[in-house]
Amino acid sequence: MERLIFDIAAGVAILFAGTMVVARNPVRSVLSLVVAFFALAICYVLLLSPFIAAIQVIVYAGAILVLFLFVLMLLNVGPEPWEKTGRPIQTFLGSITILLFAAVLLGTLRGSGGRIPSPAPPDGAGIDDPAALARFLFSDYLLHFEAVSVLLLAALVGSFVLARREKRP
Amino acid sequence: MIGSIPLADVLLVSGALFCIGLCGALLRRNAIQIFLSIELMMNAANLAGLGYGAALASREGQIIVFFVIAIAAAEASVGLAIFVALFRHTETIDVNKVNLLKW
Repeated sequence: MERLIFDIAAGVAILFAGTMVVARNPVRSVLSLVVAFFALAICYVLLLSPFIAAIQVIVYAGAILVLFLFVLMLLNVGPEPWEKTGRPIQTFLGSITILLFAAVLLGTLRGSGGRIPSPAPPDGAGIDDPAALARFLFSDYLLHFEAVSVLLLAALVGSFVLARREKRP
Repeated sequence: MIGSIPLADVLLVSGALFCIGLCGALLRRNAIQIFLSIELMMNAANLAGLGYGAALASREGQIIVFFVIAIAAAEASVGLAIFVALFRHTETIDVNKVNLLKW
């Protein structure tokens, strides 16, 4: 049953990721990615990470993609026209690179993962317990957490400076 | 194995999503769609991390993904600010038409 739900969610994620790449209209692209991220959140729940699934829906689908949509509407970007790019060699080489990379990566991953030893029982609570995860995050990874908060502040100030309208003399 | 899901399946889905994202990042011309493809590649990496974390019964996978999502939020805000600034200067976000670092 879990396997079936995982396969369906993964199929939906891959399908809508493909739609995201081929869509000419950027708004359609963003909306397909929202669906793909929801499907990925279902996969995360099945991989014993309900907290990360909630973060995925709230932060990724809820905040980051809405920010993308907002900027898209602000800039009024239309559909990409069907014109010759004028760079056929680069497009050709890019396609070859992708095909080779996909063949190598998928070929490697297909045989991996089977030799991992069966998991040792976790101490006390299971790994899908958000309270235990929070205790772990705020004890062993407290410094990293604070560093990320400083990084977010820097990103806030940086994006404000970048997007500000300059006063030309 | 996580429940009844083999780890190899999770890794395959993650690899497929990564390749789709790479395809978008290399072949599209709209800067925002390239950026969306990069977000998709980051999510593929997150999926692999959570898969390994669950298969090894360790919380480190979730911690790493948590930090990746926080940094992705910072990256998205700065990247979109760069696009807005770029659009003010050049009136386009087609990456083939942007060939100057300074105007």
